[in-house]
Amino acid sequence: MSCCRKKTMTSENPVDAPFSEKLKPWQRLLLTVAACTATTLLATPLLGHLDLANIVMLFLLTVLLVAITLGRGAAVLASILSVLLFDIFFVPPRFSLAVENIQYLVTFSVMLATGLITGQLAAGLKQKAREAQMRERRTRALYDAARMLAGALTKAQVVDIAQSFTHEQLEADSLILLPEDHAHPVVAAAGTPCKIDPLLARIAEDSGTTVRNHELSGSGYAALYLPLRASMRTRGVLAIAFRTDVPSVADDDVALLEALASLIGIALERLHYVDVAQSTQLKMVSERLRSSILSALSHDLRTPLTALVGLADSLFLIKPPLPTVALESAQSMHEQAARLANLVGNLLDMARLNAGEINLRREWQPLEEVIGASIKLIGSALVAHPVKVSLPADLPLLEFDAVLLERVFCNLLENAAKYAPVNTNLDVVARLAGDYVEVEVGDRGPGFASDNNDRLFDMFVRDESVAGKPGTGLGLAICRAIVEAHGGTIHAANRPQGGARISFTLPRGTPPILEEESV
Amino acid sequence: MNTPKPRVLLIEDEKTIRRFVRVAIEEEGCSVIEAETIAGGLVEAGVQKPDLLILDLGLPDGNGIDLIRDLRGWSEVPILILSARTQENDKIDALDAGADDYLTKPFSVGELRARIRALLRRRLRNGDGVSPVVEFGNVTVDLSRRLVLRGDETVHLTPIEYRLLATLLGHPGKVLTQRNLLREIWGPSYVESSHYLRVYVGHLRQKLEIDPTQPRHFLTETGVGYRFQP
Repeated sequence: MSCCRKKTMTSENPVDAPFSEKLKPWQRLLLTVAACTATTLLATPLLGHLDLANIVMLFLLTVLLVAITLGRGAAVLASILSVLLFDIFFVPPRFSLAVENIQYLVTFSVMLATGLITGQLAAGLKQKAREAQMRERRTRALYDAARMLAGALTKAQVVDIAQSFTHEQLEADSLILLPEDHAHPVVAAAGTPCKIDPLLARIAEDSGTTVRNHELSGSGYAALYLPLRASMRTRGVLAIAFRTDVPSVADDDVALLEALASLIGIALERLHYVDVAQSTQLKMVSERLRSSILSALSHDLRTPLTALVGLADSLFLIKPPLPTVALESAQSMHEQAARLANLVGNLLDMARLNAGEINLRREWQPLEEVIGASIKLIGSALVAHPVKVSLPADLPLLEFDAVLLERVFCNLLENAAKYAPVNTNLDVVARLAGDYVEVEVGDRGPGFASDNNDRLFDMFVRDESVAGKPGTGLGLAICRAIVEAHGGTIHAANRPQGGARISFTLPRGTPPILEEESV
Repeated sequence: MNTPKPRVLLIEDEKTIRRFVRVAIEEEGCSVIEAETIAGGLVEAGVQKPDLLILDLGLPDGNGIDLIRDLRGWSEVPILILSARTQENDKIDALDAGADDYLTKPFSVGELRARIRALLRRRLRNGDGVSPVVEFGNVTVDLSRRLVLRGDETVHLTPIEYRLLATLLGHPGKVLTQRNLLREIWGPSYVESSHYLRVYVGHLRQKLEIDPTQPRHFLTETGVGYRFQP
């Protein structure tokens, strides 16, 4: 483990390494040789004044210093060199490897062993200190990143912070992939030279664990994919591409990146909720504005129409009564104003329905009731067209917005009454059809001109057969908007027995349970 | 004409609308007091003690609903709302605050006169004390004996059906909001369970209406509530 870590530190992180490890191996070799040579040169004049045992001490000191400054490999080399140089230059016979007294072999072995062990220990200590230092630096960098991420206001800032962190700490490029990017791997950061393997990114996101692929390192592809986990869900993937060919990524580095990833995840989640809050606020404001504009418009248009209708009516109350011609005019005024009011109502409804999502006030209720209310509401238009309602006895409660569905029935019945000959029945029929209830409003009139009638539900489109009759082509468009908002469909057709038929569906859903009354 | 003319207070800021509403009220044999603002309306209501109040919801100096709440603190005068707003919530709020009925603009003079008549009639009858026997269509309900007859046949009602019937009959012509009815008959915890109310009104119609699909007495005010029409 410690060996592996060392390798990582020396080979992967040249930037982070201290001065000595910036040197190339041959430079270190050279320095070691030079140090040992210098010790030999220094000790040679002392030969004769000093005991050989003390000269051994000088060599051991050299090994120790080399170990501290140049690391473990140099320490090993220095130990061996020191033994050789000591043998050649100091142990008689000098200038040969031969040894006069066999007991010097003990000196050599002890010297070698001491050199190796102290060298190892010193280099290890140094290594530990350096690791601690690096860990501290990384912790501080992580802390700084956390601080900056907490203040980030946009996704681009988050991406920048991640990029500069991985660059400074690991000499690697980073990319942040956001969920919507997965389909087409578009990258949140602009201009980062790193390719993404979308499959690995998907695996990282789905599994919530880090995915590594070392074979990709150095190829320009990101080799590490870390999920950006936050409290609610995974917010994306952090992809890391090392610039150099790395055989394996150290566990320390992965742990560091995972910490970074979770910080980014939290930052992205925070930004997401800021967005949500802002757009909700915006939606609320625009909804309020729209509804206040529409109700102001409604008020301003209806007030003069109310006056018109009422004033025309009040002409009938004048005493003595006005001449018949004048009363007929008053009646026409009333009718025209009422028609105008109806049109205004339709236009405002259409504006409301078209302006975005419709706010349905859905409640569970019997269909029968809304049909009855609609017939009652437009009673005067149905005088010459009695409505026959046939509903199955087992028709369940349906969930709908009664006010809007009343508009649908009123529009359909008014239409039918307008086009069917006087004194013919209109039919309202409902039947169960799988998961839906199908409702049909039919008449015994001339029917539609053609069989392809779906265009009738577009705004301002009217059937050819009704060219002469008054109308705007809004009624059916409103019906369709309402029915579709309820999750149903609407169609127009001719009845086999003659006449037009408009049918729409409403989903059945699961009606609430009605507690039985204890009698 | 020994009795004094009923007095109607009309609070409406549009002059042209006031003009024809005044004509319609006078045609019903009432005298008219006019006000243009909520403040003015409250003063007139206090001083003149009208028999009926006709109120436009959209007044320049505030919301008519506030006036209803103020007024209901000290007066039982029937209130008819005129509303140009199509949103049902305004009507429900006004009715819950204590209004008796509403008309959506534009309305015909005929409708207006019918509503005025109904509200004034109720006021008179309230003065006499409520008769225990109510008749509508071919149905007779004797509230003192809890007896419901359709023609000559006794109609059996469950306790809840009977309570609903009695509540509706107690306020003829008045629009009762769903919320009101649910609270009164099922209790406060059922206020959101409107399907109960709908199903039981359906039961009443089945048992008491000639054509339950096109009721003539138990009327739906869609999105608002129900009205019993004698």
